[in-house]
Amino acid sequence: MARGKAKDGDGNWKKFIWNSEKKELLGRTGGSWFKILLFYVIFYGCLAGIFIGTIQVMLLTVSEFEPKYQDRVAPPGLTQVPQVQKTEISFSASDPKSFELYVKNLEKFLNDYKADQQTENIIFEDCGEAPTDYKERGLYNDAQGQKKVCKFKREWLENCSGINDPTFGYGYGKPCILIKLNRIIGFKPKAPANESLPPEVMAKYHPYLIPVHCAARREEDAEKIGTVEYYGMGGYPGFGLQYYPYYGKLLQPRYLQPLVAVQFTNLTYDTEVRVECKAYGQNIQYSDKDRFQGRFDIKFDVKSS
Amino acid sequence: SQGLSSAKAAEILVRDGPNLLTPPKATPEIVKFLKQMIGGFSILLWIGVVFSWISFGIQLAQGAESPFDNLYLGVVLALVVILTGIFAYYQEAKSTNIMASFSKMIPQQALVIRDGEKKELPADQLVVGDVVEIKGGDKIPADIRLIFAQGCKVDNSSLTGESEPQSRSCDFTHENPLETRNIAFYSTTCVEGTATGIVINTGDRTIIGRIASLTSGVGNEKTPIAIEIEHFVYLVAGVAVSIGVLFFIISVSMRYKILDSIIFLIGIIVANVPEGLLATVTVSLSLTAKRMAKKNCLVKNLEAVETLGSTSIICSDKTGTLTQNRMTVAHLWFDNQIYSADTSEDQTTQPFDQSSPSWTALSKIVTLCNRAEFRPGQENLPIMKRVVVGDASETALLKFAEVILGDVMNIRAQKKKVAEIPFNSTNKFQLSIHETDDPNDKRFLLVMKGAPERILERCSTIMINGKEEPLDSEKAEAFQTAYMELGGMGERVLGFCHLYLPENEFPDTYLFDTDSMNFPTSNLCFVGLLSMIDPPRSTVPDAVSKCRSAGIKVIMVTGDHPITAKAIAKSVGIISATSETVEDIAKRLNIPVEQVNREATAAVVNGMELKDMSSQQLDEILCNHSEIVFARTSPQQKLIIVEGCQRQGAVVAVTGDGVNDSPALKKADIGIAMGIAGSDAAKNAADMVLLDDNFASIVTGVEEGRLIFDNLKKTIAYTLTKNIAELCPFLIYIITSIPLPIGTITILFIDLGTDIIPSVALAYEKAESDIMNRRPRNKRKDRLVNEQLAVYSYLQIGALALGAFVTYFTVYAEQGFLPSTLLGVRVNWENNAINDFEDSYGQEWTKYQRTYLQWTGYTAFFVSITIQQVADLIIRKTRRNSIFQQGLFRNKVVWVGIFSQIGIALILTYGLGHVTALNFTPLRFQYWFVAVPFAILIWVYDEVRKLFIRRYPGSK
Repeated sequence: MARGKAKDGDGNWKKFIWNSEKKELLGRTGGSWFKILLFYVIFYGCLAGIFIGTIQVMLLTVSEFEPKYQDRVAPPGLTQVPQVQKTEISFSASDPKSFELYVKNLEKFLNDYKADQQTENIIFEDCGEAPTDYKERGLYNDAQGQKKVCKFKREWLENCSGINDPTFGYGYGKPCILIKLNRIIGFKPKAPANESLPPEVMAKYHPYLIPVHCAARREEDAEKIGTVEYYGMGGYPGFGLQYYPYYGKLLQPRYLQPLVAVQFTNLTYDTEVRVECKAYGQNIQYSDKDRFQGRFDIKFDVKSS
Repeated sequence: SQGLSSAKAAEILVRDGPNLLTPPKATPEIVKFLKQMIGGFSILLWIGVVFSWISFGIQLAQGAESPFDNLYLGVVLALVVILTGIFAYYQEAKSTNIMASFSKMIPQQALVIRDGEKKELPADQLVVGDVVEIKGGDKIPADIRLIFAQGCKVDNSSLTGESEPQSRSCDFTHENPLETRNIAFYSTTCVEGTATGIVINTGDRTIIGRIASLTSGVGNEKTPIAIEIEHFVYLVAGVAVSIGVLFFIISVSMRYKILDSIIFLIGIIVANVPEGLLATVTVSLSLTAKRMAKKNCLVKNLEAVETLGSTSIICSDKTGTLTQNRMTVAHLWFDNQIYSADTSEDQTTQPFDQSSPSWTALSKIVTLCNRAEFRPGQENLPIMKRVVVGDASETALLKFAEVILGDVMNIRAQKKKVAEIPFNSTNKFQLSIHETDDPNDKRFLLVMKGAPERILERCSTIMINGKEEPLDSEKAEAFQTAYMELGGMGERVLGFCHLYLPENEFPDTYLFDTDSMNFPTSNLCFVGLLSMIDPPRSTVPDAVSKCRSAGIKVIMVTGDHPITAKAIAKSVGIISATSETVEDIAKRLNIPVEQVNREATAAVVNGMELKDMSSQQLDEILCNHSEIVFARTSPQQKLIIVEGCQRQGAVVAVTGDGVNDSPALKKADIGIAMGIAGSDAAKNAADMVLLDDNFASIVTGVEEGRLIFDNLKKTIAYTLTKNIAELCPFLIYIITSIPLPIGTITILFIDLGTDIIPSVALAYEKAESDIMNRRPRNKRKDRLVNEQLAVYSYLQIGALALGAFVTYFTVYAEQGFLPSTLLGVRVNWENNAINDFEDSYGQEWTKYQRTYLQWTGYTAFFVSITIQQVADLIIRKTRRNSIFQQGLFRNKVVWVGIFSQIGIALILTYGLGHVTALNFTPLRFQYWFVAVPFAILIWVYDEVRKLFIRRYPGSK
C-alpha cells in the first residue's frame, strides 16, 4: 500500500511541475505566475520604499557632527600600535622578516604625523611643547567651517619615531609601541588627582597631562621588563590636554591624536613578558569585562636568535 | 470426581504456563524517551548542538578569545531539546497502558478439586483439565466447560456485549463456543447459581486472551493531527535545511571560513525551527481536553482532541449510547386504539387519556401481574432512577404503573395475591390470582400477561370501553393490526387479560393449586396491549441532526434485531423520515427486493449478510448509502465495518462499551468508550471516554475538535511569521556583512519566552463562523499548514518584520554607526585585535564596546519583534473576519498573552540586562516605539487582505 502511495505521489509531482493539460507550471499558469510575481515585485517594492523612507527620516534626526548618544563608547579605550593578533609581539631581532609587519604597521600609522603632512596652517596650529589646558573650538557644527587641529611632532617620539631608526628598535631587540587614547567626540579627559596616583606614576604628574605608565602585568615579570622609555609631547610621558576635545571626522578630518611611544630597551629574551599599560585620569576608568578600557596588556616574546 | 493430581497439574502448568494474560511487548521506556529526543525538530537542533560544539572545539584549539559562546549555545540548544523531549515523553506516558486493565480482570482465587480435595488456589495456577467450582458472584477463573450447573447465570456483557445474564447448563447447544450454553468464559462473572466445570483453556488461549492479543495486535493508527504536525515539521525542516545549506554554500563561496559558515548554519537552523511550537500545540490540546472533560468527554490521548473534529463517520453503538439502556413503556393499545406514552428520561406523569374504564382494568393487570419490586428506601428518588429487583420488562411496567397510579406496592398489598404462576418459556405467560380490595366483592381476580398471540388464544371476549364484548374476527383483526404495528416499531409487545372468577364456583376459601391449575385459563377477557422499547435519549435526535449538518455520517452498529435497530435509527434520525431502504422501496412498489435499483439512501444490513460479503461489497454499501444501520453484528464484524469505513478515507469514530469492542475501538481513528456502562478494557482501548454515555457529548467534542484545528492553524501562522524576522538578520548578516542584528540565544528567548503564552492564547479563540455547518475537513486536502498559510506568513507578514531592522539601524545610527558605515564591516567588527574601530564620526571603539552595542542591537531587534508579534497576534485572531467582527476583547486570554509578552520582554531587557551570558542590555525607552508604525501597518495590511477575502471568496 505504501508503495502504491509513493507511485501516486510521483505522478503528482511530475504533474505538479508541469501540468500539460492545464498548462500549469508548479501548479500555476503562466498568467497566474506573472500576476503573483508582479504582486511580489510591487509588494517588496513598497516595503523597500517604506524601509528606505523611514531610515531617511531617522537619519534626519541624527546630527552629522556628533552622535546622539555616546554611552556605549565612553569611557575611552586605550590602544596600541602595532596592532597585533592575540596582543602578542613576538620577533627575533636578527630576523627582519619576523618584525616586518610591526614596522610597516607603525610606519603606516605615523605617516599622518610626518612634518610635511602638518604644514597647512589653515588646518594645523601649534599647541606648544608642553601640556596645557583643553582647546575649546566652539559648537559642534560647521557654522565656522572646519576646526583647527593641534600639531603633533613626530620627532617627539625620538627613538620610536622611526626617523633615525626605521626598525623602531625592533632591529636591536628594543621594541617600540605607540599608545593612544581612543577618539571620542567631545570627550575631555581629566588629569588625575595628584594624590590618587600610584607612587611609580607620581613622578609623571602634570596638571594638564594624562600620564601613561607601563608595568609588568604579573609580579614575577617585573624583573624581566627592564627599562621602559616613554616619549611623548615635549618629552612628557602622556597626552596633553590641549589635544582635547575631539570635534569629529567632519570638523577635524586631519585630527592627530596625541601619542605616547614606549620603548622596552632591556627586555628579557626568550621568555614571555606580559606588560600592562594604563592611562590615568579622573574620568578614565577600567573594567573587568573590557580589557581595553583605559588600559591594555600586551605580551612580548623576543627571541635571541 | 477426583480432579487432577497435583503432580499432573504441575506438569501441565510447566507445559502451558500460568493462567495469565501475557502483557504485550512494551517498547522499553528508554526507547520511547529516545524517540521523543530525536523526533520532530529535535534532530535539527541536535545538528545545531553538534555544530556548536565542533566549532567550540576548533576555536578552543585555535586559542580564540571567546570560544565559550559556542559551548553555551550548544548547551542551551541541548537543554531545549531535552526539556521539550521530556515534556513530550511525560505527555505520552500519561496515556495508560491498555493491558493493565486486562490483568485487573483476572480473578484472584479459584476453588479447584485436586487429588480429590477442594482447594483454594490462585487462579493463575489453574491448568487445562482442572475441575473448578463456581458460585454466584465469582469471576470465572478460565474458560470452562460445565459438567454440572444449577440455576447458573453468567454476565457475558464484558465479552459479547449482551447485557442480560445468560443461563448456563451442561447442554451442548451450538457449534460456536460463544453461543453454546455449556461454556463459561474467563473474566466473565457468574451472577447466580452454582456450577462445576472443567478448565478447557487458560491464559492467552482463552477467548478473552485472544481478544486481548487482537487488541494489542491492532496497530495504533497515527492520529490526523499527528500526521498534520509531521507534515508541518517536514515543511519547516525542509525550509530550514534548504536555506541553511544554500547559505552555507553562499558563505563558503563568499570566502567565509568554514567555521564561520557552520556558525551561520546553526543560526539559520535555530531561527527556522519554532522550538516552542510543539510544546504549545500540546498545551493547546490539553487545554481543549480539559474543556471537553467539563462537557463529559474525557480525552486520554491528547491528539484525539483534534481527531474528533476531523471525524467524518461515527459508528455508534445503540444500547446505552443512543438509547437510555432501559426498557420503557412506549405504546398502549386498548379500546381499539393506540396510545403513546412518554418515554423521556425524567417523566413524572403520562399524558394519554386515562378516563376509559378499560384503562382502569388494564392498569390493575399491569400492577398486579408483576413480580418486580422497588428496593426499599428510595422514596425520595425520582421514579425513573429507582433501583428495581426484576427483569427489564417487569421493571418497565412497574415504573410505568408507579408513575400513573402512585404507590404500587400499597395497591398490591391491598389486593392480596393468592396464587401465582411465574413466566416460563413453555407457557409464555404469567398469571396471578388476587383478592379484590372491595369488601362487597368477594370474587377473585385472575390476571395474566404474556406474548400477545398466546394471550389472545386464551380469550373469548375483549374489553371495549369497559364492556366485555365477544371477540369476533373483526376485533381479532384489529388486534393483529395493532400488534403488527407495534412490533414493526421494534417494540416488545405484551398482551394483558383478566377474568373475575365467579363467586359461586370459587368461594373465598377456595384453595388454588398452581400445579393442577384448578382454575380457568381460557375464555378470559382480553384487555389490551403494552409495548416497550429501550427509548432513545432525548438529546440524541438533535445531536444526530447536528452531525448531519456537520457532514458527519452516523452509522449504527448494534447486536439488536434489525427491526428494533431500524426503529431506533428512525426515531433518532439516523435514518431520516424521508429515506427508504431497499426493502421499503420493494414493499412500496410491490416488487421483489432484487429488482430495486440503487436508489435507496438508507440500508439496514444484517450481521448474517455482512458475514458473506466481500470487502468490495461492503465498500459499495458504505459508499452508496448515506444512512446505514448494521444489526445483529458480532464484535469481529464491528472491526470489519470500521476498516471498511477507513478504506473510504474517512476518519472514523467508534463508540463501544464491552471488552469485545476494544479491537474496534483501537482500530478506529478515535475510539470512544462509555464511562458508565463501559468495561475497563474498552476504556483503555479507547482514546476518549464519555462520562455520561451520551451520544450528544460526542457532538460537543466534535465542535471542540474543529475549533482547536482552526486555532492551531492560527497558532502556527503566528509562530511561523516571526521565523522570517529571525532568519532575515542572519541572511542579511551573511550577505552584507553588517554586525549581527540578533543573536541565536535571543532568538531562543523569543521562541521559548515571549511567544509561548500568546500562541497558547490563540487556543482560546472563539469560532469565526458556525463550524458545525462545515463538512469535516478532508484529511488529504485541508492541511494544518498549507501553501497559502506558509507563503503568507513567510513572504508577506514576515517581510513586514522590517520594523525590527529599522530599530536596529536606529540604535546603531544614534550611537555613531550610520547605516552606510555598517555595510561590510563584519570582519573588522568581529576582530578581537581591533580595539580602535572607527565609527561614522571618527570615534574609536574597543571590541567590548562594539559587542555591547551589538547586544543592544539584539535587544532592540528582540523588542521590535515582540512589538510586531503583538500585531501579529491580533491579526491571527481571525482568518477571514475583521477583528472588529470577532471582537478585540472577547478572548481575554489573548490580552494576557500580549501583556505577558511585553512583560517578559521588559524583564529580560531591564531585569536581566546585566547578565552577560543572556546578551540582553537595558534599552532606551524610545526604541520600544520604533516598530509600532510597522505593527500598525501589519494590522492594516491584514485587514485589507481579509476584506478582499470576504469580498471575493474562492479566488486563488
